[in-house]
Amino acid sequence: MIVVSFMSYILLAILLFSIGLIGVVSRKNIFVIYMSIELMLNAINLILVTLSRHFATMDGQIISMMVMAIAAAEATVFLSLIVSLFRVKRSINIDDYNSLKQKDTL
Amino acid sequence: MTDVMFGILGLFALIGAIGMIYFANTVHSALSFIVTVLSLAGLYALLSAPFLFMVQIIIYAGAIIALLLFIIMFLNIREEHRPKEPNKLIFMLIAAMVLAPMDVLLFKAFSTISNVSNFDKLTDNFGSIKRLGDELFNGWLLPFEMISLLLLVALVGSIVLARKEERE
Repeated sequence: MIVVSFMSYILLAILLFSIGLIGVVSRKNIFVIYMSIELMLNAINLILVTLSRHFATMDGQIISMMVMAIAAAEATVFLSLIVSLFRVKRSINIDDYNSLKQKDTL
Repeated sequence: MTDVMFGILGLFALIGAIGMIYFANTVHSALSFIVTVLSLAGLYALLSAPFLFMVQIIIYAGAIIALLLFIIMFLNIREEHRPKEPNKLIFMLIAAMVLAPMDVLLFKAFSTISNVSNFDKLTDNFGSIKRLGDELFNGWLLPFEMISLLLLVALVGSIVLARKEERE
């Protein structure tokens, strides 16, 4: 029987963060990359709430609310960026989004 | 009881996350991510954060994922728009093998954080919404106002980015 303690939550958050990082580096679909970034923010939120419970102060919960607000702001900007990029390139592959690359020097 | 609930919710969170990075169809990924988000809301409730439980469901499952699904359907992503990823599983396995030692290191670093644990015993009205509001508007008023400014800037920025370019 596993006794649920502080470290179980930390282990779960570390695993979720790693899955998000794996998604960012191994997928080419821009929507999946965006959702992986959101998953990493969620894992950090879980760590903040766990530490807030561990030290019995409310500050971690407030910081995680602010992380959620920043995630919402990021969602609007990222999704409108995807819309405008899709309008130009007709693709959601990140390999096609190479407008900033200097093609002739590489 | 709490142990069983933590196990079930954690398992659902991991399954949803793995499905999110595995599915080729974008809509399936987004629906799988909802499972993770709702499981995390349940974990916040277990950690005695009832306001974050509600905010997680409203903001993530209600607003962000709904906006994401709306954009996916609005862009009308079809089979030929999706990138071909034949080596997806190999890349994932390599990334997992590279990240595994870092995870062990992080876990060991976290286990040295403090021996004094308040995890089982709680102070009076910890986690209540009233105390959260008191802390937010007494100690964190300036960051709160800056967050509102950030949301305004993000609103304007998204309008500027998504506007159709005028051709002259």
